[in-house]
Amino acid sequence: MIHIFLVYLLSFLNFTSNLSKNYYLYVAAESDDVVSLLQFDGDEITELERINVGILPTEIEGPHGITVDPSGEFWYLSLAHGSPYGSLYKYSTQTNKPISKITLGLFPATMQVSESTGLLYCVNFNLHGDMVPSTVSVVDPELMVEIKQIETGTMPHGSRLSSDGLFQYSVTMMSGELFEIDGISMDVNRKLKLDMMNHDHHMNHMNHTSESNMMHSVVKPTWVIPHPSSNLLYIAGNGSNELIEVNLDTWSITDRIKTGKGPYNVEITPDGNYLITTLKGEGSTAIYDLDQKKLVKKIKNTANVSHGIAISPDNLYAFISVEGVGGEPGIVDVINLKTFELISSVKVGKQAGGIAFWKISS
Amino acid sequence: MKKFFTTILFLSSFILFGQEKSIISDLDGLELNIGDTFTPTTFVVDGKSERSDCVRMIYYNKRGVFSTANSISVDNQSGSLTANKPGIHEVVAVCFDADRKRTSKTFQVNVKYPKVKEIKISLDVEKVYSGTYVPVTYQVIDEMGFVRDNVNFTLKSSNDNLKIDQINNIKAVKGGSSVLEASFEGITGILNIDVIDNPVNSIELTPNTNQVRTGDVVQFKTKAFDKKGKEVTDVPFEFTFQGKSFDVSNSASGLVDNNGKFVADVAGNYLVTASVGNITNSQALVVYERNVKRDVMKVGTGLVNNKHTSDFWVFEGVDGRDYAVTGTWGADGTSYFWDVTDPANILKIDSVQVDARTVNDVKVSEDGRICIISREGASNRKNGIIIIDVSNPYDVQIISEYTTNLTGGVHNLFIYQDHVYALSAGQKYYILNIEDPKNPKEVGMFELGKEGQAIHDVWIEDGIAYSSNWRDGVYLVDVGNGVAGGSPSKPVAFGNYTYASGAHHATFPFKSKSTGKFYTVLGDEIFPKGIDVNAPNETAGFLHFVDFSDVDNPKEVARYELPGHGSHNYWIEDDILYVAMYSGGVRIVDISGDLMGDLYKQGREIGYILPGNKDGYIPNATMAWGAQLYKGYVFYSDWNSGLGSAKVMPVKPDNSKVNQYLN
Repeated sequence: MIHIFLVYLLSFLNFTSNLSKNYYLYVAAESDDVVSLLQFDGDEITELERINVGILPTEIEGPHGITVDPSGEFWYLSLAHGSPYGSLYKYSTQTNKPISKITLGLFPATMQVSESTGLLYCVNFNLHGDMVPSTVSVVDPELMVEIKQIETGTMPHGSRLSSDGLFQYSVTMMSGELFEIDGISMDVNRKLKLDMMNHDHHMNHMNHTSESNMMHSVVKPTWVIPHPSSNLLYIAGNGSNELIEVNLDTWSITDRIKTGKGPYNVEITPDGNYLITTLKGEGSTAIYDLDQKKLVKKIKNTANVSHGIAISPDNLYAFISVEGVGGEPGIVDVINLKTFELISSVKVGKQAGGIAFWKISS
Repeated sequence: MKKFFTTILFLSSFILFGQEKSIISDLDGLELNIGDTFTPTTFVVDGKSERSDCVRMIYYNKRGVFSTANSISVDNQSGSLTANKPGIHEVVAVCFDADRKRTSKTFQVNVKYPKVKEIKISLDVEKVYSGTYVPVTYQVIDEMGFVRDNVNFTLKSSNDNLKIDQINNIKAVKGGSSVLEASFEGITGILNIDVIDNPVNSIELTPNTNQVRTGDVVQFKTKAFDKKGKEVTDVPFEFTFQGKSFDVSNSASGLVDNNGKFVADVAGNYLVTASVGNITNSQALVVYERNVKRDVMKVGTGLVNNKHTSDFWVFEGVDGRDYAVTGTWGADGTSYFWDVTDPANILKIDSVQVDARTVNDVKVSEDGRICIISREGASNRKNGIIIIDVSNPYDVQIISEYTTNLTGGVHNLFIYQDHVYALSAGQKYYILNIEDPKNPKEVGMFELGKEGQAIHDVWIEDGIAYSSNWRDGVYLVDVGNGVAGGSPSKPVAFGNYTYASGAHHATFPFKSKSTGKFYTVLGDEIFPKGIDVNAPNETAGFLHFVDFSDVDNPKEVARYELPGHGSHNYWIEDDILYVAMYSGGVRIVDISGDLMGDLYKQGREIGYILPGNKDGYIPNATMAWGAQLYKGYVFYSDWNSGLGSAKVMPVKPDNSKVNQYLN
């Protein structure tokens, strides 16, 4: 009887503590040049503030990547377009006002700040450029200095760090490769081709000589996420409709898991149990049990073109940005990771993309 | 109790202060020679001077990845620095301790200049006359071939023919030979200077006109004569002016150049002076108001107030009626079509919606049959252009879309003789043949081919494409004119002009009817304080008038700058400029005659239109986007209110007496 009482008591305490929690996150709207600060109270997600970003009001600079630094004091925003180079802005989470800006490469996109090196690693996606190798920019976010541009492959995307913060991973969408960068030496450590041999076909393309430039990847990898506690990482094969599992010890592909249409972003819950991927081509989000490597549930998003994922550190919620089409607003959907249900949505700016979790507060 | 808390607070701050860490490194005060490699030793000490090592250490050149960062290169694998260029360079040391706490410090490292090897001095004029200042150029070259700037020389003259002041200005005061010596770090460069006694005894100064309005360029003819009345040629004249405005609370202002061209901004009495050494002559001028103001009446409005409006184009349809197309910005990919046959009754007659957020630019073919619109923010990120059949503007039909090489978004485009010129990702433009508009074919491409190339606009006239390339200025490209053997499939650049601000956004070619001169009018686009899409914005920048009569030697001669408002798109016809100055509305400016100096100050503005509308997207906020003169009416688009038309009224009889002396 006492045992049952204690279980009820603990459940109640857990319930009440969740009730009192507020979750905060930022989402960037690429076709509106705005960033929204959102609050989720466990039931409903709301937009607290809409922050105008960009440089020229009559041009869309396209805020694409967004991340909050480990201290939670600053958020960083990549603006895809410039003349021609994109830029990185540093904002205060206290005021949501810009503090500093630097120019990066062509179409800077995804990024993350390492707790171990203190540096920010941002891919220069060069989404609309020639099929030439692009770079990963390494930035000291304290002084906002771009320290180095490290050449990788064609259209690098999905910059994510190992759990110890010492290695940065990105994939190159057109050359179909996974890159590992040493966070300290700022050099490419190793790379891995992701296309199966019978996937490869070569472009009849002039002027480019390197092997990777000649290839249009069938896999079209768009995202990579290292597992928080194992030696595995997972890649979204946007073109081949699959998740690719890579063993970091052997630096080899160990599994290919079929998904729905167009997996785009991938994140793993901090406890390592679930992998969540947006299925851009279906406008839905898929949740996989990583132990079983099985689909737990596929959830239709509120609008079309599912994009980014932010997961709360307590493993309870996934926040999905959905771009929408044309004049439709962007959407952020909240998925309960216990019930696997979509429980709330909020409209944000057009073409919602980059999304970053900020904090939980009571 | 209060005292207790104060004590606790004090102790806490002391403890915190005591724990504060700082970096100690032998980078401090480091001096290196070029080519040296150095591996720093760096550690951290706390407030008690207790040392701890860094678990992770990163060094970098604070100048970042830019080319100058090579001055000191860093290898973080080995933790070493290499000195490549002389000067004081900043190296940042970042230390992470075992708790992932960061401590960083910037150190100044002095890479020593090699010894000076040579000082070269050259004279910037052919002849030096007594009574004039002597312009010279210095070059300091060191033993490794580096050229040093900002060197503070010690100057010395061999005699008193040259007088050198405290800030190293050199004045020729007496005729005869002198040796100028420039010394630095024990090395001396010399220059022999022959000072010629000023032969000039008198100067004749004649203006080409005595009837002068503000903005009129007066050309002064000068002749110098010696004591015997014989003309002296090859003497350099220096021109200055002074003046008094008729308006006692206004300053007289203007501009005079070294060729004796003078223009006054403000009506008043002026005195223009030519001098050679201490010999001068002056000519008085009375400058009257330009008096070009005319009434400008708003005629009609095609209100768009549920989204921002972008560019527009007015055209004659195949049925002989008059139509317009407008784009929309940051919205749902809609373009509107209008019947503007009666400019007072602008009718929205059709629309198309495409997968885009912004249709920034719209253009219509010369025959009024084909409309092209640009796409940005397409959900599939393919963007590109849309080709529309507008032979019946009341029922427009999409013919085709074209996205190849244009996926980065098309910000601006142009249509000219069955070809589309479409910008790609703000870096280059592609040329598409649309003789078969269902199947556009790429036939050419133009890019600067340099790192960081950027483009904002392209405009075609007489087979010449004028591309606006931000910091790289305007490029004149033969795409069929023949001047440089170019064609749409083989675009050939033959002219270029850049200017310092690097904000070059749009170009309009302008052949002056009144002077025959050929200009490119180059517009800036600047938002000095960033953005707010839901409120009025501050804008800046101006139009640069570049005399391109000599394509190999273009010269910027004038500007149109409206204080407090920045330039956007514009149109020129019959020596009148119609320019959308964003928050300043549409300005109508007389650009007849020779152009020099600040056209706004010269009172050349004929009138203006403020399109702000109480029912606008942002009520009453003017944000004029573009202007076009069409069949005697000024059409314009406004970001907040859509399409509008206006009429510049005829010149009224001048009943004032200010201008009574003018023809």
